[in-house]
Amino acid sequence: MAYYAEKNFFEDEQLIELVTSILSGNLTLEWYQAQGARVRARPADPRRGLTYEDCNLGPYGYDAIPELIRNRYSMAARGSVLVTKLPDLGYTVNRRSDVWSDNVVALYEEAKSRRWAPAVDVPWGELAAGADPVRDAARAQLCTLLEEVALVAMEMPSKWVFSINQELLELKSFLCAQMIDEARHVEACRKRALASGQGLGRASTSAEQALKELLSAETYPEASLGMNLLLGGFVLAMYRAIATLAETRADRLLGTLAMQDVARSVAYGVGHMRYHLAHQPAKVVALGEYLDRTEHVVLGIAGSPEFLEPLVLLAAGSLDRERLAVGSRFARRWFAAALEEYFERAASAGLGDRRERSRLPRLDS
Amino acid sequence: MPRVPAPSPIRFPSREFFEALRDAMRAERERFSRLGFFDTTFGVRISPDNGGEPAEFALRFEVFDCVRVMEGLAGVETDFVVEGPFGAWREMFDTIHALGAADTAQSLNTLTHFGERLRVRYDDPDGHDKLYRFAESIQEFLDLSARVDYVYPDGSRPPARRDEPRRSVP
Amino acid sequence: MSYLSTTDFTEDQAFVDRFRRMMRGDLDLSWMDVPRERVACRPENARRGLTFRDLDVGAYGFTEMPELIRENRSFAPRGAVMPEGLPDLQAEVSRKSEVWAYNIEGYYEEAMTRQWNATTDIPWAELQSVDLPEDIGKAYAQLLTFLTEVEMIATDVPAKWMGRLNADFFEVKNFIATQAMDEARHAEIFRKRALSTGWGLMRASAQNEFNLKFLRDADSFAEASLALHLQAEGMVLTLFRFSEYISPTEGDKKLFRLVMQDEARHVGYGMQHLKWVLDHFPERREAIHHHLDEAENFVFGGGYATEVLEPFIILSGKGLKKENIAEGVRITNAFQLKQTDEYFERLAKCGLPERRERSRLWKMVEMRKQTMAA
Repeated sequence: MAYYAEKNFFEDEQLIELVTSILSGNLTLEWYQAQGARVRARPADPRRGLTYEDCNLGPYGYDAIPELIRNRYSMAARGSVLVTKLPDLGYTVNRRSDVWSDNVVALYEEAKSRRWAPAVDVPWGELAAGADPVRDAARAQLCTLLEEVALVAMEMPSKWVFSINQELLELKSFLCAQMIDEARHVEACRKRALASGQGLGRASTSAEQALKELLSAETYPEASLGMNLLLGGFVLAMYRAIATLAETRADRLLGTLAMQDVARSVAYGVGHMRYHLAHQPAKVVALGEYLDRTEHVVLGIAGSPEFLEPLVLLAAGSLDRERLAVGSRFARRWFAAALEEYFERAASAGLGDRRERSRLPRLDS
Repeated sequence: MPRVPAPSPIRFPSREFFEALRDAMRAERERFSRLGFFDTTFGVRISPDNGGEPAEFALRFEVFDCVRVMEGLAGVETDFVVEGPFGAWREMFDTIHALGAADTAQSLNTLTHFGERLRVRYDDPDGHDKLYRFAESIQEFLDLSARVDYVYPDGSRPPARRDEPRRSVP
Repeated sequence: MSYLSTTDFTEDQAFVDRFRRMMRGDLDLSWMDVPRERVACRPENARRGLTFRDLDVGAYGFTEMPELIRENRSFAPRGAVMPEGLPDLQAEVSRKSEVWAYNIEGYYEEAMTRQWNATTDIPWAELQSVDLPEDIGKAYAQLLTFLTEVEMIATDVPAKWMGRLNADFFEVKNFIATQAMDEARHAEIFRKRALSTGWGLMRASAQNEFNLKFLRDADSFAEASLALHLQAEGMVLTLFRFSEYISPTEGDKKLFRLVMQDEARHVGYGMQHLKWVLDHFPERREAIHHHLDEAENFVFGGGYATEVLEPFIILSGKGLKKENIAEGVRITNAFQLKQTDEYFERLAKCGLPERRERSRLWKMVEMRKQTMAA
């Protein structure tokens, strides 16, 4: 502990006098006249309720957040009347375009609205462990890898939220939504593996090395680009594949509901990059270089044997050679489609056409 | 007394078909509310198997409702369009009608996965990603067709309800 | 500083070759045969679904988890087979009794199923139709301003610790994620309610900001949790119950009932965590007392926050007239004493009954009770 109060309040006569006076009925009412802008937020659409967009009013709104937040380092609510002597809470992310996106407010509202709980929203009772040992083993291994990915994806927003200025309330709230989304995926994937009859599979050295590289990005823009746009698109494709290859409603639902969550993170990742580059266009060079050296992590994760072999097996359905040929064809198409979608998103985010520049397409040859 | 002719059955594909889904969704407000905000406009394009002009519809969803069904996609801003031959659509809706909901082989996600049966067209990847953000709501919307009484252009009807779900085949 | 993976996967020919072989269907499948516990967990209670408690089996479970996590320093899911070459997560906390709590898995499952939505679960239309008179409206807006200001400290502080905990403690990490979301929701609901009253936000609370700074600064997760979950949130829980009691409308009562549910869960975790620490890590007792000494100093210093105390008086007395204030003082006094009583009661129940004797806050409160009785 390094921060102590400016005084020992138990020996503060002035404080004791003040409180005694108030509790004798002598209110100071200092705060009574210190009123911020008068507004009355109303739901624009009663079906939707009162959204943050409805509260985007005057000095209270997120439109009022400046690009550089210079003199707000406390948790004082945006738009409230400030007083002198507010402490500096140590925020180190104080530039709006480092974190903001135009869709973040809507995505936060969507995340809350589209929440689900794995314990009760997946019909676990419909699963029959042992009915198909090959597929069960593949699914358990796939879910083990996805649990690893989700653990890291949960830590990325948690790592940054403490350091981001509280003026950026809606963005921080979205990061909280991401945390709970990924907690849900940790939970769902672990439960699926342990319901399979196979137990957990093998942790993936290549995936974890890759994940640690993504997690340790030096700046928030790099962290979001790596985790939300680059990896997020592939994880979205992974859950799509789980839903496609599902044989039960339980697995289809697990894949579909998780897919929804990841798609929001991807949407934020694209939106964030767009906003960032619109306001800091020179950063496109550094971010391009970041992708040049970081895209390889996709291979470490989606190309890991702990992901790819189970995917082939799930699509194949058996270890029969002809079926493995079917399964590997599925895996090739899956990777190619996910890669193409990544390039599309990167381009639409303002990062240019990476097809020629990226090392990933060379894996095909 | 002159006989009142029986109302014509709803045809697929038609605007009335999707309006019937819209109405069924309204009746299931509670269920769709639990799935959460559903904000997208997407197109459906059904191409006749023997060539000819496709049937096109735009479906707009806001909050928890299908708020508009439009015929034609010209001039409509859509997040994405799902398109495919009539046969693929029919197979999907037949399965939904027989089972009460799509099985994993005939879910929209599976059918559009590699674009073999149904394809997804879009101008902006953001719009494309709405297919995934609202995936379960879209699927449950299509599953409402299990309750609709409709006929195909050749006059045939989808199969009657059966109990056993079909297993998925990749 | 960025960590770089030990391999550049696209440049490692062996890795690329293996990738291409897998893509042709030539599979190694060594992961299939690694020896491991094969389990098929099932819901013990079908209505509750498949819970973390149902997964508490063998090496996968939390019951058998050792006190010191010696083997896993990576992201490997607890119980998974760990091959060579996994990276070191650089976890700062690998001792179970620094983070664990009785029933942590229950709190998490409860949190996941009891999420609510500030946008849609409050009767905003009903609240819109009520015009609060100036004295009540301003007092209420000021109370809401204080609450929206402080809530997300309980997002920031636990989130700061999440990445420092060993991956084997994922039930705790998951609970932290639910708390982060709960607090974002609380900041949201209080802000939205303030902006819907017609009065907007009022004054920031400097004295409480210093308290927030203290909460951000803790040497260990146990100390952070103690100050945040037990002391701060414990007192806020009583405050929410009091706020429900003095709420100006039925819609506002519902609002406080909803936030109260979340807060009670956090306090529950805090209590069970302190119990676990004292049961398994008794040498922490003195450090805990030392931390509480300063935490309680900040609590007492909160008396300077007239923008919190005075709105309570006005709201509970229902106005600014002399007789209202007299009634408000009476009720608020009772609330503050109850708030402090409950705080010490919780500490005693968690295994710290001696706190009352050591606490200056307790002595001040006892003096106040005597003054009132006299």
